[in-house]
Amino acid sequence: MPIEFKDYYKTLGVPRNASQDDIKKAFRKLARQYHPDVAKEKKGAEEKFKEINEAYEVLGDPQNRSKYDDLGPDGEQAARFQGATGRRGRGRSGPGGDENVEFHFDGTGFSDFFEQFFGRGNRFDGAGEFANPGAGSVEEAGFVHRGSDFESDILVTLEEALLGSERTISLQRVDRRTGQTRTQTLKVRVPPGVHEGQAIRVAGMGEDGIGGGGAGDLYLRVRFAAHPEYRVRGSDLYYGLDLAPWEAVLGTRVIVPTLKDQVSLHIPAGTNQGRQLRIRGRGLPVGRTGSQGDLYVVINIELPQKISEEERELWTKLSQISDFNPRKT
Amino acid sequence: MNALQVFEPEAHTVYTIELAAQLAQVPRRLIVLYYKHGLVSPVKDPAGSGWYFDDEAIRVVRRIEYLRSACGLNLAGIKLVMGLMDEVERLRTELRFHHGT
Repeated sequence: MPIEFKDYYKTLGVPRNASQDDIKKAFRKLARQYHPDVAKEKKGAEEKFKEINEAYEVLGDPQNRSKYDDLGPDGEQAARFQGATGRRGRGRSGPGGDENVEFHFDGTGFSDFFEQFFGRGNRFDGAGEFANPGAGSVEEAGFVHRGSDFESDILVTLEEALLGSERTISLQRVDRRTGQTRTQTLKVRVPPGVHEGQAIRVAGMGEDGIGGGGAGDLYLRVRFAAHPEYRVRGSDLYYGLDLAPWEAVLGTRVIVPTLKDQVSLHIPAGTNQGRQLRIRGRGLPVGRTGSQGDLYVVINIELPQKISEEERELWTKLSQISDFNPRKT
Repeated sequence: MNALQVFEPEAHTVYTIELAAQLAQVPRRLIVLYYKHGLVSPVKDPAGSGWYFDDEAIRVVRRIEYLRSACGLNLAGIKLVMGLMDEVERLRTELRFHHGT
């Protein structure tokens, strides 16, 4: 069953030679429109957002982008060729490993194309990331072999991480020997407080065992959706705040949106570029401790690109009367 | 045939070492060995005494088994590889953070 190739450049509406900055801007613009937490039109927004997020996951990361570009304009051909096996069951040793079964997911938020080339199962050239492919008890008479585990990424929004959610995943297994397809649909609860990289273990949903050996497990690895406003690091959120130069020099007060509400933040006079102002307790929940991470507001000073004559005169006067020189030793 | 099952894993389920051994299909004594070599850690359960392992620990133990049986690594090799994989994952995460919006 061939995998559908994804044209990520088209999804973001950027040319193939777009700069990383252009890609970031394109993503932000689209994400603000379609992110489920902020979209005005909810219907269809979720599906669209998944595409946008996935495109940014690949194009926004130089390493991923390079790999994607190498698939070439013939990327479609390459995908169809490699993808002919679908997403492989992660069994390497023992019989009944990945030779016979394909898996296809629906509902994880990531396409088969993404998982095939950029997903977690692909780390270390596919060799090391997945768990034991069933160390069965070979000593027993009659080969008993525990089924392989299987891993997939699951896309989780920050709001889901905050409040928890219920996701419907369908898992389609195709036995390539018999051509038989079997679909299993399951609901998985994403508990509040999950963090990036955490594995949600769904017992018994991996590959079937052999000779009475138990089935392997399905691991859903949490991957946060890129958010147009926040970056995530552990339980902390980072929000980029743009300031005009005079605001940074004189200080000001701004409204900062958090996941739950808005906070009025005082910007002290003389706030430099890159300074981080911490708002406690407005991050993501920290595991089961009941405490909350923090929100860091990262200052970015933007300069006016076009100034009027009067402004130019004022700035010039400022440069003449000020004795501030950052390059003075 | 579609079977709609609901899985509600607690984010913080923990298992006794006996149950963990069963789930990971690995003898108890090996889990103890891995613990002694710093490869896996139990979580602290304030309610009870004894060791409790979470899903992440199960995953780690299974990965160790994979490295041991399928890749033929000895304990020293396993420690090295696990350490490297953790470091790489940590670096990837940092990089993703810096590439973010």
